[in-house]
This record gives sequence, structure tokens and C-alpha cells, in this order.
Amino acid sequence: MVEGEIIYDPEGYRGSLRERLIRDKIRTWSKVSVKKGEAYYEGLLLPRSQNTDDDYITLKVDTGYNLGILVDEETQVQEIGYQKGHYQLPHVEVKFKEELPNVTLLGTGGTVASRLDYRTGAVLPAFTPEELFSAVPELISTVNLTPKTLYQILSENFRPEYWVKTAEAIAKEIESGANGIIIGHGTDTMCVTGCALSYFLRNLPVPVVLVGSQRSSDRPSSDGPRNILYAAQLAGYENFAEVVISMHGTPSDSYNLVHRATRCRKMHSARRDTFKSLSDIPLGKIDDSGTTWFKDDIRPRSNPEDFYLDAKIDSRVGMLYFYPGMNPDLLESMVDLGYHGVVVIGTGLAHVGTDVYPALERCQEEEIPVVMVVEPLYGFAQLRVYETGRDMLARGVIEGENMLPSAAYTKLIWALGHTRNLDEVRDIMLTPIAGEITNRESPRGFMIMQGIEPGIDQILKNL
Amino acid sequence: MIDSNNLDFKKLGFHAGLEVHHQIKSKRKLFCNCPTILEEDPENMEYSFYRYFRPVLGEMGDFDPGMLVEFEKGYKVIYLANERNTCTYEMDETPPFFPDMEAIEKGYILSEYFHCTSFAEEIVVNRKQYLDGSITTGFQRTFISARDGWVPVNGKKVRITNLHVEEDAARRVNWEDTSNRTVYFNLDRLGLPLTEIITEYTDVDTPEELIETAKQIGRVLRISKIGRRGLGTARQDVNISITGGDRVEIKGVQDLDLFDLMCRNEVVRQYTLIEIKDEMLKRGITKDALEHTYVDISHLFESEVKHFAVICPKMKGLFGLEVQPNKDFGLEIFEKSMLITGVPRENHYHSDENEEGAIRKNSDFSSNLEINDQLYQKICSILNPKENDAFIVVRGSEKQAMHALKKVIERIKIALDGVPQETRRFIRDGNSEFLRVIHGKDRIYPDTDTPPVVISLDKIEEITRNIGKRPWDVFEELNSKYGFSQNKVDLLIRDEQLDLFYKFTEELNLNAHLSYKLLIEIYRENKRKGITLDEEDFERIAELLAQESIITEQLHQVVSIIAKNKKITKQEIIEQLNIKKFSDEELENIVKQKINLIGDEKLQSPEDEQRYLPKIVALVLKECNYSIKGQTVVNLVNSFRKEVI
Repeated sequence: MVEGEIIYDPEGYRGSLRERLIRDKIRTWSKVSVKKGEAYYEGLLLPRSQNTDDDYITLKVDTGYNLGILVDEETQVQEIGYQKGHYQLPHVEVKFKEELPNVTLLGTGGTVASRLDYRTGAVLPAFTPEELFSAVPELISTVNLTPKTLYQILSENFRPEYWVKTAEAIAKEIESGANGIIIGHGTDTMCVTGCALSYFLRNLPVPVVLVGSQRSSDRPSSDGPRNILYAAQLAGYENFAEVVISMHGTPSDSYNLVHRATRCRKMHSARRDTFKSLSDIPLGKIDDSGTTWFKDDIRPRSNPEDFYLDAKIDSRVGMLYFYPGMNPDLLESMVDLGYHGVVVIGTGLAHVGTDVYPALERCQEEEIPVVMVVEPLYGFAQLRVYETGRDMLARGVIEGENMLPSAAYTKLIWALGHTRNLDEVRDIMLTPIAGEITNRESPRGFMIMQGIEPGIDQILKNL
Repeated sequence: MIDSNNLDFKKLGFHAGLEVHHQIKSKRKLFCNCPTILEEDPENMEYSFYRYFRPVLGEMGDFDPGMLVEFEKGYKVIYLANERNTCTYEMDETPPFFPDMEAIEKGYILSEYFHCTSFAEEIVVNRKQYLDGSITTGFQRTFISARDGWVPVNGKKVRITNLHVEEDAARRVNWEDTSNRTVYFNLDRLGLPLTEIITEYTDVDTPEELIETAKQIGRVLRISKIGRRGLGTARQDVNISITGGDRVEIKGVQDLDLFDLMCRNEVVRQYTLIEIKDEMLKRGITKDALEHTYVDISHLFESEVKHFAVICPKMKGLFGLEVQPNKDFGLEIFEKSMLITGVPRENHYHSDENEEGAIRKNSDFSSNLEINDQLYQKICSILNPKENDAFIVVRGSEKQAMHALKKVIERIKIALDGVPQETRRFIRDGNSEFLRVIHGKDRIYPDTDTPPVVISLDKIEEITRNIGKRPWDVFEELNSKYGFSQNKVDLLIRDEQLDLFYKFTEELNLNAHLSYKLLIEIYRENKRKGITLDEEDFERIAELLAQESIITEQLHQVVSIIAKNKKITKQEIIEQLNIKKFSDEELENIVKQKINLIGDEKLQSPEDEQRYLPKIVALVLKECNYSIKGQTVVNLVNSFRKEVI
């Protein structure tokens, strides 16, 4: 931009109001006066967010409040000054400290390592290290943290190739000597990415901690700062080498749970303690007094030289959620469309209606693996119990044991990346690789409270 | 200290503004569907959880300085909650629901009462940061309903700059120990719709005007029937400044009777702070001269805890100055240090306390460092203060004590600017204590969870079209028509009887004073006795009075008949009254008999007669079962006595 040149782009404004603002040379971030009948307003003209009414302007008035004003024919709007906001956290000088472990934070667009632009809904550039430390200063004395940005996307926009790129980035960091990795990730599909990474990163030598926030970082009550602090402690200091998810364990800022990614699922649309381990207990928990491990099958840190990346994938895999009345043409058309594998979420022990059988037979004929997992989420797929189950097995479906849907889906993508041979795929799918299948299930794996159990009141009083 | 009872407010350049917070009556909370029921005992809880808060950037890319100080306090916030009035929204575990339209509409109606000219045609929900834990999100959701209104106050207009609708904060439980870093809140009140009404502070020049402004606003909330009633439904914050001072917000003044005292004490405080500033400048004290050099003098104390001291050059005598009744400048500084760092004010000491008759010694929060003359000398021998220097000692852990001294020195530096802008907490004795650095506009930013709600001017017109009479217009009218005092009008408004009053006087043509007597006096008298009269009861009584089926003298009987049987008809009431008829002669005899009962010797002069008149009338009325008018009896008594004389 040439100095002195002014660009009149009323950000976010549309239609005739936009034309009018351009015509009258009124910029966003300019100070304007608005006259409308008896009413008079003065304030900053803010950019307008998408999907809102066309004819209104948003004004930030002297008290700091924003308000909307309908601009009609009679409304007079005049620019009387200009003041653009500079939205950036103050920078903090950070020095490398020899005695601290080195941890890399790979940002993918979750709200821990970046912030949402509330006007447009877009994700703003991830924090620079200095900005991140400015927001969570305690990090400076915890680890030598190197933040890097991989993507700036919402987690529902992830694709299998992004898992691969993420795994490649992790491998690079491990090879450069990182003592631990943190992945900043949107929480919606955090478990899916976690599952994929669990298969891709072979003989993982260091912790990989996926972390995010259920309350975005533009809120004083955000769970992000504590989540990332605990993630840094886990990644930097703890003796484990698995892909885990670590987020709040309760609505309080009291402790975080450490979940094995392949056993973990988001179970509430909004709560901080949304992540639960299913059919098993969490690996451990971390609070201000340190980490407590609950399980004894945790993979310890190991020699980085044994580590290798195996991220061959075939992403032509689909997932079908069976429901009563489902037309089998859904599965048929997946065959028609050339899918290489399907995960079917079946009812109860993993059943589908008998009218789906012909479609299963077609899959069998075309050598398309169909992996059955259970709609109840907890427990095993067991197709030997009922006649109908045995009928399904006869049509070649693979019992997905107690893999969660996302664990089965990512595993099938990974398996098909290695082979299209049905028997080999079956072998891979049924061999536990990263805890996605547990060969036994303890009663503690199904702790779903209903809120009426004796003693629950006392628990709720002291969360 | 200047005499607080003898202040020339106009000369001092006194200005005061109000922020009136009043809960709006509604069925649900503003951003969720929880009912608006409060716990009787705020410590009541079925579950609890806790949180920590951090400041976030404002929209213009700045941290609000007030928010940084809040973060420095390092509060752990424990929430107490109950199922019946709290859901995952109040827990900040779920996004807001669509705002309550009833509350939005009531915001517009109030704005119309206050003659606002600029209405918000689109509700843009903003977040106002609060890091004290009073709101689980760390921000209050709030929006402008309208701007630029006014209320009449003693013949002038006091402007209403803004009218907001917002969610109420959680209720603080246990305020006792302000040095505690753990704070408690009950979530029952969080999310109740609240209106915030802000007045232009330059329009108010005296405490009297301030009180009248508050009353006018209160009347609107009552007359419109929008304000929720009951204890704790209204809270006022007052902004006070004098020439040379600065805007100081005093929070939580619930009782209008205390406004005057509070204004006086704050004026005295600001006046004294300005004097201190002038004296510091005169002594040549600069900000740079006040150094953060803390000396460890722990060995002088027989205690495990650390003691640090700091020299304040040329400050001798200033810490001991009284800034508010029973509170010296030193204590004022220590209050702030305590609130931010958690070191109790009693663990702070300043050298002026060693003087004869030091104010601090008799304050409610005297120092517990027990520094006697001998110890004082020992400290001096270490610190080596010059003739005119003062010093301050703080007791605490190393980290806490250093933090406290840092805050102390920072506060003394600010003294060179005079009165710091801050939010203070009202204390029952009329004084105030530091609460937080004043919160600025950088703590406000838009709420991304709630899309703007478009409300057209036509819709606003429709909502506000049928608002009732404004309270000041009602006063004008009733005062000129019936000579009603403001007090009487206020009672009609406060008891929400104005509608019935108009109905009785205008539709039934009932006498205004009689209507008032019925709606206020009879109502209140009976309420004390445990009898509550409702609208239907009043209407039946008023109709009977208007038809002259009953007379005023029978009101008490009528009320007790109704109290016994709420469904009784008018005809049955009259039957039960057992109205007696008397011939003139019969009545005269009764009157004579009652006069004789009092006896001539007691009725020697017209004054005696006047004194005994009510008694005679009461006796006669009782004998006649209240079936005749009091005035008839009065006339008879007077005529008889005239004859006698």
C-alpha cells in the first residue's frame, strides 16, 4: 500500500449499505457520528460479522459497548476520526534454559494455540511463542517450549492426509531431540486424530499429548491455560510414550485426566470434562501436586532410534451408522462409489437388519472389508451370540472387538494403506496395536453414574 | 481532617453519578431456562466446584489494567450450587440459550419511562470481564437497551446516559476475611435478568440531588412493575468526584439513608488525598525517590515469619493523616495491599504509628506487629532514616511480604497524582475500602456465543406504546388535584396500588383521600395483623363505599368480615354488618349519655372538649355499631356543648 493511500473496504458489510459506506468514504475502525431522528450516536464503526442482518452497522460506543443501528435513508453517518485496534498479546522475552526439557507444541487450529476471530468466525494466526507465554506465563519456567503452526483449521475440517502430515511433523521433532510433543487440536475430532497417530507412530519414544480447550482462550474462564500447562508437564517430564489426550477431569480446575487416545471419546458437547475413557479407566491424572498413574500397562519412554513412522493410508474408507429402517442402498452405493472399506456401527452386539445381508454379500464378493463395531460404545462386538450374528459372520464381516468407532475407522484406513488382502486386513484389524482393543474388560470400565447413586451427593459437593 | 458535617459541596466541585442495578421480574434467567428462585440460605448447596481466572485481551488489543490487578489477586473461586436454580449454563459448561425476550422488552419499556431517545435496534450482547469470580464465565453478558434519557430532579434534568440489560452476578458468600485468597459464591443469583441504569455524574452537584435521583429511578422500577421486589434485588454503585480528585466508584450501597454520610466521607477522603499530594510535591518527593528496596529485619522479631521494611523518604507525618473517620492514610494504603496480595492489613505497620495519639492505634485494624519504642529505635538503626523519612514494615512469607511492599510503594507513588480512580466497597460505618482498580472499557468485547437480535424501531414502538404514567407526572397530578404529598404518592407506587387508586377515583368517583386510606392505611394496618387484602377485596369495598352502602366508619368491620370469608358477596357483607337505624332523638340521647360518662368536670374548656371529642365519638360509634358517620356525632357533640356554655 502506498503511503497516504486509503483503502475503503468496509469489512463484513454487504449490499447497499456497503456501497453507501464506500461512497461516503467511511472505513471500518473509523470514528463516526450517526444521526437518526432524535437519536445521536458516536463510536467506532466495527467490522460486521457474517450471517447477520445487512442493513445494520455495529458501533463501539464510548463505554466500550457494541450496539447495532439500522441505517435507513434518513440516517446520517459521518466519519470523524480513525483508530484501528491492534489485536496482539504483549510479547515476552523467552530464554532457552539448559535444565528444562524440550517440548514442541504443534498447533493445528485448536483454541489453545490460536484464538478465534469472533467477528468472522475465522481462526486467527497461532500465537507466536512470545504471545503464548504472555497468555500462560507459567509455561516459561516449566519447559523449553517451541510452538510451531501446522494448520489453522477447525477440527471438523481435518482429513486423513492431515493426520499423516501431523505424524510427519512429530517424527521430525522426535528426530531433532524433542523430549515430548504437544498437539494443540480442536476438541471435536481430537480423538480421531489421536487414534490415527497411535497407529502411525511406531515404537514411539516420547509422550505425544493432544490438548485443547472446551472454553476458547478469549474467555477468562478458559480451561486452555491449565490444560496446556499440564500437557507441558506430561510431555516434558513423565515417563510414558503413548499418544494421549489430557483435558479437565471435572468441571473444577482441579485435575486433568490422561486418556489413551484409542480408548477416548468426547461425551458432552460443551463440558470441560467431556473426554472419557470407554471400557477402561484413564491412564492417570495430573494436578498441581503431580501425576498419578492408574494403569500398569503404560508404554515407557524408549530409545528414539527404534522409532519409525508408518503412515501409509488408504482414505477410501467410510463409516455407516446402522439404524432401524436404514435402507441397504446406503451400503450398496458405497460399493458402487468404490469405497475400499467400511466401518459399520451396529446395534447392540454389532448387528444390522437382515435386509442389509445382500449388501454385505456384495461387499464380501468385491473383497471390501466390513468392520463391525458397537452402537452402545461400551463392550465388545460379539456376533456369535445370536443366529443373526452368525449369519453376518458367514457374510464375511470383521468383528471389531471393543474398538471405538473412530479407532476402527482410522485403523481401517491405516490397514488398507498396507494391504487390500482381506485376510491380512482382518489380521491387522484384530491385532491390538495401541490399546484400541483390550482383551479383557474390568467392571471399572463402565462407570456411568446416573446421578442417583448413594454417595453421589458427597462426590458432587467436592468435585 | 476537614469537618465532614460542614462541607460546601458546590465549592468543592462535588459531582456524583449512579449506577442502579435492579433485578427485572421474569420467569426465567436471561440466558438459560432456570427459574428465578433464590436460596434462603446462601451457603446452601447440593454441589460445588472451583475455578481460576485469567484476563483476556479487549477488542482493541489491550489488557484492561483493572483486569491485570484482578489476576494479581490470585483468587481460587469456589462455587456452591443447587439443582433447582442452577444448570450447566451457570457452571459455564454449556453455551448460552436464546436471551429471554421478556427481559429484553422490559428493558425497552424502562428506557421509554426514562425518556431515552436512542434505542438499540439490534441487541448486541457484549462480554464485560470480571475476574473476581462473581461470574463463572469470567465475563458478564450485557447489552445496551437505550441511551440518552433523563429523570427530573428538583426542577432540573439529570441525564440517564445508558440503560443496560444484563445477567446478575453470583452471590458472594462469606465476605468476612478480605485477605483470604479463596472466595465463595452461590450460583443461585447468577443469570437473573438485571437492568443497569447509569446517570450522568456532572448533572448532580449535591448529595440531596443524588438521593432524589436514586428515588426517581426507584419509583420508575416500581411503578412500571418491572423491578423485582425483596431484599437484595437492588444495588447502587455511586461515582463520586471533587475538583482535583477523580472518579471513585463506591459499590454496594443499598440504603439511601446512608448516601449522605457516604458522600461526605468520600469528599473528605478525596480532599485529604489532594492535600497529601500537595504536601508531597511541596516536600519535593518524586516517584523515582520511592524505591523498591526492601530490607529484611526479621531478626528483630521473635517470630518464624519474615519481616521486611522499606524507607519512604520525606514521608514522615503523612501516613498518620486521617483520611476518613478513624482511618489514616497508612491504613488506606494497606487495605489495597491486603486485597491484592492477601497479606492482612494488621500485618502492615507505618512509622507514624509510633507518634503520640496516632489514629491507627484506635482504628478497627490497628497493627499487630507490636513495635514499641525500643524496637522502633532498633529498626531505625538498621534503616537509618533521615529526619523527615518514614518507613513501613510488613510481616508475611518472603514472597507475600515482598509482594505487599511492592504494592505499598506503588500506591504511595500514585499518591503524587492525587486521588486514584478505583472501585471501593462501602462499609457500614460510612467509610469505604479499596476493592479494585477501576475497570475500563477495554474489558468489554463482543459475545460470539449470541448472534445479534434484530429489533426494529417499529417493534420497539409497539413494546413501549402503552407504558403507564411516569412517577413524576403522577406526583404532579395527585399533588395539584388532591394536595397529595410526595410521601403519599410514593406509598401508592411502592405498594403497587396506583392502578386501583385511579380506578376508584376516576371510575367509581370515590373520594381520593378515602381511596388512599383504603389502599394504603387500611391495607397496611391489616397486613400487620396478618390479614392480606387482594385486588378483589379492595374492589368490593370500594364499590360499597362508592354506592354509599357502607360508610368509612364501617371499614374495619367490613375487612374482618371479608377476612373470615373471602368469597362473601357485597349483599352478604351488608347483612353481616347488622346496620342499625337511629331516630334523631335516640342518637341525641346516646351522645348525651357518653358526654355525661366523661363528666362535666373534665370538660371545663373548649380545649378539654377537643381533647375528649375523639373518645366521645368512638364511644358513640361503638354503641351504634358504626352505623352512623363520625361527623354526625361530632356535630351533635359540638352543638350540645355550645348549649352548655
